[in-house]
Amino acid sequence: MAAERTVNTSATGSTAAVHVDTTAKWFLLSAVTYFFIVGIIAVIIAAKFVWPEMLGTIAPLTYGRLRPLHVNGMLFGWLLAADMGLTYYVVPRLCGVKLWSEKLGVATGILWNVIILGAVVSLLAGWNQGFEYAELPLVLDVLVVVAWLMFGANIFGTIYTRKYQQMYVSTWYMMGTILWTAFVYLTGNFATLLTTGVNQANLNWMYVHNAVGLIFTPVGLALAYYFIPKSANVPLYSHKLSMIGFWSLAFFYVWTGAHHMLHGPISQWLQTIAIAFSLMLLVPVWSVVYNFFATMKGHWPKTRDNVQLKFLMSGVVFYLLTCFQGPMHSLRTVNAIVSKTDWIPGHAHMAVLGAFSFFAIAGTYYVIPRMFNVKIHSEPLANWSYWFLMIGGLGFFVTLWLGGFWQGWQWNNPAIPFIDTVIALKPVWIVRFFSGIFMFTGITLFLYNIMATVVDSGGAKAEVQA
Amino acid sequence: MIAKSDKNATIFIVLAVIFFMIGGLLTTVVPPLVDRSWGKAFENSDPAKGPTGKLQPYTEQQLKGRAIYVREGCWYCHTQQTRTLLADTKRSGWRGVDSPVSTPDEFVYDNPHMFGTKRTGPDLSRVGGKYDAQWHRTHFKNPRDLVPGSIMPPFPWIANNEEDFQAMVAYLQTLGRGKNWRPENDFEK
Repeated sequence: MAAERTVNTSATGSTAAVHVDTTAKWFLLSAVTYFFIVGIIAVIIAAKFVWPEMLGTIAPLTYGRLRPLHVNGMLFGWLLAADMGLTYYVVPRLCGVKLWSEKLGVATGILWNVIILGAVVSLLAGWNQGFEYAELPLVLDVLVVVAWLMFGANIFGTIYTRKYQQMYVSTWYMMGTILWTAFVYLTGNFATLLTTGVNQANLNWMYVHNAVGLIFTPVGLALAYYFIPKSANVPLYSHKLSMIGFWSLAFFYVWTGAHHMLHGPISQWLQTIAIAFSLMLLVPVWSVVYNFFATMKGHWPKTRDNVQLKFLMSGVVFYLLTCFQGPMHSLRTVNAIVSKTDWIPGHAHMAVLGAFSFFAIAGTYYVIPRMFNVKIHSEPLANWSYWFLMIGGLGFFVTLWLGGFWQGWQWNNPAIPFIDTVIALKPVWIVRFFSGIFMFTGITLFLYNIMATVVDSGGAKAEVQA
Repeated sequence: MIAKSDKNATIFIVLAVIFFMIGGLLTTVVPPLVDRSWGKAFENSDPAKGPTGKLQPYTEQQLKGRAIYVREGCWYCHTQQTRTLLADTKRSGWRGVDSPVSTPDEFVYDNPHMFGTKRTGPDLSRVGGKYDAQWHRTHFKNPRDLVPGSIMPPFPWIANNEEDFQAMVAYLQTLGRGKNWRPENDFEK
């Protein structure tokens, strides 16, 4: 099939276009840096659960200020920026042409960094709009829209001037991400301002849910669809299956926002619709995951010596698990136990760290040596970064699920005073903190390895500073 | 048409937006038009229909307190919804009286909404009138003085700023008071 050929021809490096990749480098190197910096914040807020007095009398360093910084920093400073950087790398190669405009790309990169630095200042100062995932002040929201238009123009410009007529599945997912993000972001950051109460909450959760479902999911899957066949050096198993996965995602995902308010003050019929569509999400998830597993059939031993494949295939497993949890949480009986508990951060971190960050880390490990024309600084160190993130991640996810489930059961017994359910969770939070230290170690090794690779390349150094 | 979409970017864009927009519009624009209670403030004078009362708009002082609640991120750890779960109505209750469940008409003046997603501390949807100002002052200075084992951070800059503190308490005392659910109105001030 033509789509698989597209991926394979570019694998041999026989494409005519010479890629400059200045934009991709900018985005990726700043993303990896934020991953590390925001990782420090993550460890601090995990520590605050164990030592609530720590840094507690300095207003900008309280939990209520640092948590949104952690969430926004990881989502927009690290993950989305890395995803955008990798999109700038992947799309020109799949289209067989240069990026439409490197200048526009670099300007987008600079603007993105301005937004992230603005976010740090405003969140620490407490300029918080009060909406989850949409905390940033309005002026920064407007800049995000501008940056997104610049990004979209560049990627669609590349796609419309492409050399290969058939578009590979990664290209669809990246186009989907750009289109849907525009609507989802406008709903969550602008439409909410015109409403109040439950109506506003409904729009807010449409955004929160789809920030993961229609921003990080499609761009993450685009990366997996590109880097799994590349890293394993095999063609994708099925083009048709990837189409089923894509179009069912496009249709089903947006309906499910209200499942964040199950049992809450929102119309029962809307809750039921959200539950029904949440269950249907198993269709896009399983068709995508089956496609990846079938692609890897007979090639699993390659994961042993290939760090990217380790990250990618662990990411696929985490994706399968997190997307099994999601529909299950939306069942009213399960929701009555896990909703609002510590289970939820366990679930959310498996999606954003375990699945989508693993895809982005794999992509970064794959493209940085190629863009700078050197070998990765240290293979063993890359391997260690995988194991630290994997063990830390599992420790984090699993203890929070167990703890959260237990907490939910205790809440459902009103004879137990609330404070006793807090005290009961303290051991869980200690394990979470140490798991966080492991994850942060993995991130540090990742940052060091990437930066050392760039330094190794020597000649390309001027390029980065430019 | 879908079969062509992987060769023609324009067809792809049109289809991807249509697929998304069906659910997008039906779940965001339509619900408030169908369920009018989302936008109508709670008001009931007939005890046969449940708790009586009338939801009042926030005063200027209460709004100031609410802004502090938003600024300090209280909503990351405290939800404001008594869900349709038996345990929630018990936990939100007071002195043996169960709390009514939260309904959309109790939140029409809330902007930004503060329903929350994570319950690290207790739910606050019915906390209004449960504790007096002195309790709140001590609690903001050091939560562990009143609730041993609590992991809430201290907020001395709220407790020690008279204007901010009064505003904050004024806001907290409104929570869940739209419905007159406690007999004899035994509310603390």
